[in-house]
Amino acid sequence: MLRLIDRLRHRLRSLAGAQAADAELAREIALHLEDETRENVARGMSPAEARAAARRSFGSVALVEEQCRDTRRVAWLQSLAQDLRYGLRSLVAQPLLVAAATASIAVGAGATTLIYSLASELLVATPHARAAGELVNIRLAGSSHVSYREWRELGESGAIASLAGYQIEQSVNLRDGDRTVSIVPLITTANFFDALGVPVALGRGYSSREADAGREPLVAVVSDGFWRRRLGADPRAAGRAIVVNGRPYTVLGVLPRGLKAFAGFGLAPEVYIPLSRSLMPDLDHPHASAVQLVGRLRDGQTLEQASAALTTVLQRSPDRDAQRPGRVGRITPVSDGVPELGSIATFFAVLLSVGLLVLAIAGANVAGLLLARSSARQRELAIRVALGASRRRLMQQVLAESFWLALAGTAGGLLLTFGAMRAISSLPLPLPLPLEIGTPFDLGLFGCALAVVLLATLFGGLLPAIQATRPSVAPALKQDVRRYVHRRWTLRGLLVIGQVAVSILLVVTSFLFLRNLARAHALDPGFDTTSTLVAQVGFVEHRYTAETRTALLATAVDRVEALPRVERATYALGVPLTIRSGRVSGAPVSIEGEGARSNFDAMWAENMVGSGYFDTLGIALLKGRDFTSADTAGAPRVIVINEAFVRRHLGGREPIGLRLLLPGAASPDAYEIVGVVGNSRHRTIGEGQMAAVYYSYAQRPGDGRVVHLLARMRGAPEDGLASIAGAIEGLDPTAAVDVQTMRHTLAFAFLPSRVGAALVGGLGAVALTLAMAGLFALLSYSVTRRTKEIGVRMALGAPVGAVARLVIGDALTLVATGMAIGLALAAFVTQPLAMFLVDGLRPGDPVSFAGTALIFVLVSAAATWQPIRRAAGVDPVAALRDE
Amino acid sequence: MGKPSDLIQGTLDLQILKTVSLEPKHGWAIARRIQQVSQDVLQVTQGSLYPALHRLEQQGWLRAQTGVTETGREAKFYALTAAGRRQLARELESWDRLSGAIGLVVRETGEA
Repeated sequence: MLRLIDRLRHRLRSLAGAQAADAELAREIALHLEDETRENVARGMSPAEARAAARRSFGSVALVEEQCRDTRRVAWLQSLAQDLRYGLRSLVAQPLLVAAATASIAVGAGATTLIYSLASELLVATPHARAAGELVNIRLAGSSHVSYREWRELGESGAIASLAGYQIEQSVNLRDGDRTVSIVPLITTANFFDALGVPVALGRGYSSREADAGREPLVAVVSDGFWRRRLGADPRAAGRAIVVNGRPYTVLGVLPRGLKAFAGFGLAPEVYIPLSRSLMPDLDHPHASAVQLVGRLRDGQTLEQASAALTTVLQRSPDRDAQRPGRVGRITPVSDGVPELGSIATFFAVLLSVGLLVLAIAGANVAGLLLARSSARQRELAIRVALGASRRRLMQQVLAESFWLALAGTAGGLLLTFGAMRAISSLPLPLPLPLEIGTPFDLGLFGCALAVVLLATLFGGLLPAIQATRPSVAPALKQDVRRYVHRRWTLRGLLVIGQVAVSILLVVTSFLFLRNLARAHALDPGFDTTSTLVAQVGFVEHRYTAETRTALLATAVDRVEALPRVERATYALGVPLTIRSGRVSGAPVSIEGEGARSNFDAMWAENMVGSGYFDTLGIALLKGRDFTSADTAGAPRVIVINEAFVRRHLGGREPIGLRLLLPGAASPDAYEIVGVVGNSRHRTIGEGQMAAVYYSYAQRPGDGRVVHLLARMRGAPEDGLASIAGAIEGLDPTAAVDVQTMRHTLAFAFLPSRVGAALVGGLGAVALTLAMAGLFALLSYSVTRRTKEIGVRMALGAPVGAVARLVIGDALTLVATGMAIGLALAAFVTQPLAMFLVDGLRPGDPVSFAGTALIFVLVSAAATWQPIRRAAGVDPVAALRDE
Repeated sequence: MGKPSDLIQGTLDLQILKTVSLEPKHGWAIARRIQQVSQDVLQVTQGSLYPALHRLEQQGWLRAQTGVTETGREAKFYALTAAGRRQLARELESWDRLSGAIGLVVRETGEA
């Protein structure tokens, strides 16, 4: 410690008081010369002679002064710069090594930074708002949304500084030229802009007063994308009108480009409009989900204090009820991301670990390359150790080289990341919402890249640095004592084993995801996907009552069925395996007339369908009947259930004629089971078989503004796209109609498995390539090193086969060890992936493991082929001549 | 660069540390002592002593203090620190290695 302070003081002095130090040195030298002169005089020289002799034996005073000054300069900084320079120079001399190492690291670094950027963009990007650090997401127990009344009550209580709300679940119809399209707006509370301070680039946001729900506000703020696409980037766009749900909304402002919206997940709603009764008729219903809350804390208010204050308000509330306990569930800072991240966050965590593993493999490759190089430099390093160079200094030098490689690699990786991000954000995703992913170079990404450089430097440089400076001077100086001593478990060998193990892990994972994708495509959804067309129809709010809407749909179906080549048509609230697949309900159910003993808890998918639904989609009617046009609102309530429901809940009873008590609007209603249909998939293609309940649309139309028409076509379904759209638009020109083939619509269902397979598969392939490059490099190097040995063996009559075995033996041991470790590791590590896999595919899938093993055997054979041929081709005469 | 080679520097450090290990000395006395002990065989240019002294001081192996010379002059005296004592032990050890190694290098340069 004392020594450290001493050194520090010395350095500070040398930095600050260079002049004082110079003067001190001059005195020191003058004294030396005096002493020497006196000594010379004592030996009998004349004073002049003595002085000259003293100067002679001292040497150049100026030079000494200069050297002392050099020494004084802060030495470690200098040596660091020197090492970096030296490292750079020695690397430039080896472009191949640099290229290989840089490429390796670029891929690993690219994977890591890309996943980091995606995660930070999609999951935790802080929305743009005034003092966003004070903002918090507020969730009441058990629900992401609260009712309009709850928002008012909480906001007016003053429990926290301000409270706004928004929702992104509802779509509206936008009149765009002579078409009507369905878009997803951000519907906000009136005070959204006032309370949150969301920036507006052009014009202004709406104020709390003018946007109050009571005044049926017709004002809007549009996104930059909307402004460019639909308003022609008009600089005087503020004041123009857009037609939403058939009503003219005045555009007050345009949001800035690249705005991070409150909806999160990279979603960029095109239009911001205030909540109103026309958008949400049941606004005043105490339990109708209206908005999710975001609030601003008071100065110095902690999360706990805010939570307590809001809880107090809820407990005082007059319409507290058992359904929604009056307490605040969770308050989290907005910068932590939307609380409902769930499995997406897990998915990214998996991806990030995969990215880091790829980086580790790349680092191992670089380590391998540097090790090969440092063994070639062993003599140089050993001489330097012998001459007193400190070990730390030598390690610093090797690390400096690895640092340059890491830096170049990470720069390459960042370029890859930017390219990929651009490609991703321009990718058309089968989502009903525009997704805007920026490619920011922010502090976070910079930090991430820096961490990557550091990790890569250590991954790649630490082992070589330790190995190279191991103080075994004498053998290294005596050239190559170990030339004929072959060690199998070298550091490089261990690196290859590690690489193989880790890439096995990644390849098994990608295999799983690919199998998952193939499975998903091969899975039978339980309904026809090849010849069906899906028309999504979005009605303008309140144009119809439940009855008139049902009547209109029936007319539309008749019209569509009258079209040529339409075999059968129907309508339904939801379409399975799309983002609007209907609801999943869970509730206690009882069978009428059997008393409380027959009660059971059930969970089922439900859909409201018209007659002919099962026939149109090719779902088999197993028992009873389909809905008919007689199952109207006034008629006895009926349902159709699927086989899974019967098997799971009805325990051998004859289903037809049973009456189930299912949750209704107010109290449970009795529904008679009139039919049983075959099983099909509802929410996701990979789900386990769900129980399902189908209601007659006419009896349970709900408030769904968006309904689907389905049509089964003869021949190619694509040909019917235009005619069906025309038939529906002819009935109601304000309706937004979007017709797609069922196959196209289902792209959504395959999105998760596709994205998973593409990302993990890509990384797995990269890992495999890197590992094999490592193996190849190791074997090539070992053949080079043992050329003489091989020459001797061949000169002594060893057959080519024996030589090949010599080389193969090494490779086999390494690969087999790595594989064993990797497969064992994979068996454990892939367990948590079960949540991403389709039903029936287990993480321990034997095909994936066997397939991975086979791939590795084949690829290893390919990687060893060339080194073996070189070994076999060694000319004993040439090899021994070198000796 | 005009700096002494690694070899001379290495041995010079060793000689300085050894010399001041007995008692603190000032620059000229150190130079004198090295010459005497080596019986004038190792003739070091006296000037090259000073950069080495300053470097060793910076590395924390020597500590500068003010003292009075035999002739009654005030001068900068160099004393060995605890770290310097450890370094001296290391240098002595590596000197043994070096002398062996140099022999090997000299004998084997013909091959390769």
